[in-house]
Amino acid sequence: MTAKLELFRVSKRFGDRLVADDVSLTVDAGEFFVILGPSGEGKSTLLRMVAGIETVDAGLIYVDGVDITNLPPNKRNVAMVFQNYALYPNMNVYQNIAFPLKMQYFPREEIEPKVHEVAQTLGITEILDRRVGQISGGQQQRVALARAIVRNPSLFLLDEPLSNLDARVRFSARAELKKLQRDLGQTFVFVTHDQKEAESLSDRTGVLHLGRFEQIGVFHDIYERPVSRWVGDFVGDYPMNYLPDASDGGEIGFRTEWVDVGAGPYSIVVEVAERQGELVSVLGRDPTGRRIFLTTLKQPAIGDTIRFDLRQKLRFGPDGARLDGAQLPSRPAPS
Amino acid sequence: MTPAAGAAPSGGPAAARDRPPAPVAVRRRWTGSTIGLYAAIVAISAFLLFPVYVIFLMAFLPDNDTIYSPRPPLIPPTFTLSNLTQALTSANSPFLPSMYFSLEIAFLVGAIALLIGIPTAYGLSRLAPRLAYGLTTVMFIVNMLPSITIALPISVQFIKAGLYGSAISIALAQELLALPVTVFLLVGAFHALPPDLENQARVDGASRPQAIFGNLVPLIRPAIVASFLLAWMLSWDESTFALILSNPVHSPLAVEIFYSVTSRGNAVYAVAFSFIATVPVLILVVFLQRYLKGEDLAVGVRG
Repeated sequence: MTAKLELFRVSKRFGDRLVADDVSLTVDAGEFFVILGPSGEGKSTLLRMVAGIETVDAGLIYVDGVDITNLPPNKRNVAMVFQNYALYPNMNVYQNIAFPLKMQYFPREEIEPKVHEVAQTLGITEILDRRVGQISGGQQQRVALARAIVRNPSLFLLDEPLSNLDARVRFSARAELKKLQRDLGQTFVFVTHDQKEAESLSDRTGVLHLGRFEQIGVFHDIYERPVSRWVGDFVGDYPMNYLPDASDGGEIGFRTEWVDVGAGPYSIVVEVAERQGELVSVLGRDPTGRRIFLTTLKQPAIGDTIRFDLRQKLRFGPDGARLDGAQLPSRPAPS
Repeated sequence: MTPAAGAAPSGGPAAARDRPPAPVAVRRRWTGSTIGLYAAIVAISAFLLFPVYVIFLMAFLPDNDTIYSPRPPLIPPTFTLSNLTQALTSANSPFLPSMYFSLEIAFLVGAIALLIGIPTAYGLSRLAPRLAYGLTTVMFIVNMLPSITIALPISVQFIKAGLYGSAISIALAQELLALPVTVFLLVGAFHALPPDLENQARVDGASRPQAIFGNLVPLIRPAIVASFLLAWMLSWDESTFALILSNPVHSPLAVEIFYSVTSRGNAVYAVAFSFIATVPVLILVVFLQRYLKGEDLAVGVRG
């Protein structure tokens, strides 16, 4: 069973901090949706409200058209994988995976084949009788996933499940997770602060900032056409570069790979140049003193002037919103 | 001898290279400060154990050598078990019925402490720390008052309720002392658990009571056993509530021994029986101590 998730004008306050500010969102059935944002911007809280662990101050949450806003977590049929996996330390791997089925009073002869089936899917059959303290981090992550899958929930919530893995394991775990979601055809909502994960996993990404989705869309579109300077700086390996726009007092924003080095109306004076593999990363200042970051093929000397042109550029107004066609979600003026 | 050193002779030159250097005997140096330390330990131990030794003498020597002797000996000339057998077997000896009564009360105190203490501690552990700390302090107020001031009004209420002298009445009064300690211990244990374990259980389909008793309680088993033991032993020793709330013809053991030593009965038999009174405590501790060992709680939780 796969379900659509809808949030209508959900708000949540912790003390005087607004962690969810009138959030509305629709995640389609079978979609892999990634909530991307820096730490402490309310990503996990949003997920926890959908799971029922946090209450909602205002707004409604629907799963498959059913209002679940005030249901306790055990009545929602929503599975969640926590950042720390939260495996039950007093149970072995088998018992951990079987737990959600036991809670639904499945008979033992039905539990056993189901547990073995998901264990096979995730390649953890050999460790079923181990204690959770005896298995590696990657295996713990699989057990946590298996425990979520085994009950066939309508929705999967994943709170940074890859962040506790070693870098090498993380890469393969990411690929497997994407494949798993495709094979299951289930709705996944995945929270992360790592834009690489959003890029490789998501069908759509929502960039969360100050308790609001600043932009929702396909990751590539967000990267190419961020609605604001903030999104442009947060998404991408490097922050965007900015030059003053003489025509209207705003700014021109561009990414490093949109630069054609050699000739053009723009120039920088090189301050730092560092070879990284085939390319040279160059940091310099334009005539107005702004820091510009770009890459070249040849190693320039410090103090050299590099001229360049832009294949593509974005225009931002003085308030940081993009001017050419984009719309920021309306936000009440700070009082 | 270490295993490595034992294996070396048959292992040949390759093994010999891996052999750790031969241990050098370290001779303890009897400096002034070490001697002083040991002297202090002996002195303090002697001070603490001397009353126990006197009780031991009274229990196992003929009464002519102890309470009826002008100069009781410090080194026992003879031993006798007759005090003990008399205390146990004489026709109207009150001690065994008293001990059963005390056992009944102690197990009630332990059970009620857990029954009320576990939910209370869970609730406190989920409150804001400052509020929880305040409430825990409030619970201890009863412990700060002299028991006797509370025991009198309580006994009036129990007489009215027709419970006076019953095991449950004494147990409930002693619970006033046991429960705050139990709750204090259990709050700490609940606090040490990662909150996401409970959240995970609830997302996985457990109701809140199921999550608490099925998932959290098994993890704090050592604290539960420890607080049961504490409550049990507190009741076993307690004598103020036991004295005021019990019927003089059917008292808990501590009170019965008090009566025997001060007014009625045989003081020497009472002293002898007090050795028997340690047996249930020892059995309980030996039986429960294996459950006091904690498991590594952090194993299923990363980060």
